[in-house]
Amino acid sequence: MTTSEPSSEEQPAVAPFSATVPTEPNGPAFAPTVTPAVHSGVDDCIELRRLHRFFGETRAVSDITFSVQRGHVFGYIGPNGAGKTTSMRILATLDLPTYGDALVDGFSAVNDPELVRRRLGFMPDAFGTYRDVNCREYLDFFARAYGLTGAQRRQRLNWVLGFTGTEGMAFKPIRGLSKGMKQRLCLGRALIHDPSVLILDEPAAGLDPRARIELRRMIRELADRGKTILISSHILTELDEMCDAVGIIEQGQLLATGSVEDIQASKQNQLELCLRILNRNDEVAEALQQVPQAAKIDQVVVDGQLVRFGFSGDAKAQAGVVSSLVHAGFEVAEVSARKKSLEDVFLQITEGLVQ
Amino acid sequence: MATTIQSTGEATTGTSPLSGGWLDRLDDWCERFGDAINPILVKEMRQALKSRQFVVTFSLLLFAALAWTVAGSLSMMPRIYTSPSAPRMMIGYYAVLALPMLLVVPLAAYRSLEGEIDDGTLEMLTITTLSPWQIILGKLASASLQMLLYFVTLCPCLAFAYTLRGVDLPTTLLIVAALAVSGTLLTVVALFFAPLARGRGGRIMTMLSLILLLVLAEYGLAMMVVSLIWYGNPLSGPELLFTVLASLAIAFTFGHLLLTAAAAQLTPETENRSTGIRLSLLMLTTVAVVTLALAVRILNGPTGTVVYLCGVVLLATLWTVCAALMVGENPTITPRIRRELPSSFLSRLMLTWLTPGPSTGLVFGIICIATLAVIQQFGLAWIIQSGFGNGPTRGLLRNICSVPGILFPAYLICFLTVVRLIMAVVRLRNNPRVEVGLAALIVVALMAALVPYSMQLHYNDYQTLEYDPNWQVSNWAFTLTTALQNDLPPGPVKNVVGAAIGLSLIGLFAAWRTTRPRRIATPTRVLEEQLG
Repeated sequence: MTTSEPSSEEQPAVAPFSATVPTEPNGPAFAPTVTPAVHSGVDDCIELRRLHRFFGETRAVSDITFSVQRGHVFGYIGPNGAGKTTSMRILATLDLPTYGDALVDGFSAVNDPELVRRRLGFMPDAFGTYRDVNCREYLDFFARAYGLTGAQRRQRLNWVLGFTGTEGMAFKPIRGLSKGMKQRLCLGRALIHDPSVLILDEPAAGLDPRARIELRRMIRELADRGKTILISSHILTELDEMCDAVGIIEQGQLLATGSVEDIQASKQNQLELCLRILNRNDEVAEALQQVPQAAKIDQVVVDGQLVRFGFSGDAKAQAGVVSSLVHAGFEVAEVSARKKSLEDVFLQITEGLVQ
Repeated sequence: MATTIQSTGEATTGTSPLSGGWLDRLDDWCERFGDAINPILVKEMRQALKSRQFVVTFSLLLFAALAWTVAGSLSMMPRIYTSPSAPRMMIGYYAVLALPMLLVVPLAAYRSLEGEIDDGTLEMLTITTLSPWQIILGKLASASLQMLLYFVTLCPCLAFAYTLRGVDLPTTLLIVAALAVSGTLLTVVALFFAPLARGRGGRIMTMLSLILLLVLAEYGLAMMVVSLIWYGNPLSGPELLFTVLASLAIAFTFGHLLLTAAAAQLTPETENRSTGIRLSLLMLTTVAVVTLALAVRILNGPTGTVVYLCGVVLLATLWTVCAALMVGENPTITPRIRRELPSSFLSRLMLTWLTPGPSTGLVFGIICIATLAVIQQFGLAWIIQSGFGNGPTRGLLRNICSVPGILFPAYLICFLTVVRLIMAVVRLRNNPRVEVGLAALIVVALMAALVPYSMQLHYNDYQTLEYDPNWQVSNWAFTLTTALQNDLPPGPVKNVVGAAIGLSLIGLFAAWRTTRPRRIATPTRVLEEQLG
């Protein structure tokens, strides 16, 4: 299975990313229609090359390859245990791959970790704190640890406190902070040395809606300032709005990468049709298998009067389905169609398997 | 490394807004000093001074010092005005000071590093520009500063005790120096222990081992200090000078080895974690050998001989442990390590054995153990010929260091070669830690002793055994015990030494493959970045 070259119509004018799903006999069933092979051009700020990470028999990450261009936000989606955190940790120089490499600005996270660290800010999912330290001291310590001195450190500290909205908490002990404020502080720590690349592992986890909106605003603002951001999240609607591209990972394998639109377009079933049928609801699933457009129908779900199914045909074919049902004696009261969201695509691509 | 602010442009370098006036200059100087010192030290001190543990310890120290000053003085009334009363007061103050310096501070340093690992903050530290060495040294510096604070607090009490007469100034200084060096060394040991722990059970075991060690050290030093205070200093001027210098040299080199090992535990696998440890080990061994030679010469007589014997036993233990750990190393030579490989013919010939890997580790271990064995034999001959070892311990010295001094290194070399083979098999499907090398050595040594012993015992109908060279040649315990009793025939010695030489040659040939990887060039962009 190889990545196919997109047609000139499909290819965006400036490809936000490039990706390859490697050939593997037992590889994923889904081949995304995206731009071809990974390269190490200067615009690829983050690059994962055939990354593997095994823990004994468990293949936490298996042959993952993708790259992210400078200034873009890349969403990393997958169920729990899919391998997101592992690959992010390798990129952040906290773990080593069994095989393959991860590059930041062209520098290897394996061979030149110290050069990668200068360019990289990492916000882990679990936020460790120090006892008896307030927010300002915490940030000041990390600023010193990154080699910032004197006025430069003070200015950077004030900017981070302002940007993350933690000025009011500057002299409060960290252990007394709310989850949202801790997340802000953690983002501030990742930003303190002004890295060009940010890796954010589940930054919105446990945040209230207002804090999530605020976080989304901050991430977009950072991307506008030229930061390259790799973000993982379970809240797919947020990634949909925030990311230039996404990668879907399950059981350590990259199932799809591309912009949300590209991935949606690459799927056969673009629409979800919903019909409200007033009679013979228990027969409708069977009837749908008999209509001439049956090949374009899948995943039929009957929920009382509502019948939902994936549909890959055009408007005329939709009309044909409705007409066939009406002719078969079904009373169709309502028809609606909607495009699949990132959440739907995610559910369709992944199987919910964990290792 | 001064980080350049790249894109946001919020931060720009500039001079301090403070200008003019000596206070401003002092403030500016203080800030620059603060920028220059280790960030871990700054953070740890901020934390420590606010921590409940420090407040409680400091308060208790003050209270105990005050209480002893009052209680001790009152208990010696009215003699305190007429006769020397310093020893009793000094012992009390020592007890007050030793508890925080030898127990509380090392334990706090251990908890601090262990806490960083547990809470995940160490990971955040490792992705900064701080090196593992800076992290470890920062923790050590913070602990030393706390010790200094405790000491300074108790200084007036020590001065008060000195004015009571009975303990001279050199003895007081010697006690303080011993306390400071011991406290620092124990903190280093604690920092070495902290990253060793894995899992809950491992952490509890490590913690208990450390507490036991600290309590033993506290007890040992207390015995020494009390005898020093009550009975005075038994050493002559040159002997005292030698003891102080030798202790400092050994403490420094041993501390360096432990710190290097602790830093190596925090260093990623891809980097060279081994060469530093091997060099540090060489430094410690050299210092120890020189110290032992000088000890025999300066502490002439039984004391010198006992020091020599203890030194030989400690060196043997050190090299047994270290060589087993080296043999357990990961054989992978990463591109990162290959960039630092020796490149010229001479440097490859001389320095390849310092590069990481089990094969080089085995050869390095064999060379050093064999060299030490030869030096030991020459040393023994020198001691006996020159008459330094005359006295009641001379026989003991000859018994322990002559034949067993040859047999032990020979057995060790044989077992290490077997362990190397076992580790190569284990590594085919696993990635064990280096400690597994030590565990394998213990297993091999036990099997080599127990299997022939059990078999001969069985064939002998479980009767009392006589040493049989044919059965027990691999039984190091039986052979060494027989050698210590001067009952060993020459056959087993020849066999064991011959086996050691043969296995060494096999190890050397097997290690030949590890000399093949050549140095690779560091990418230009990486060099530019490093220089920039």
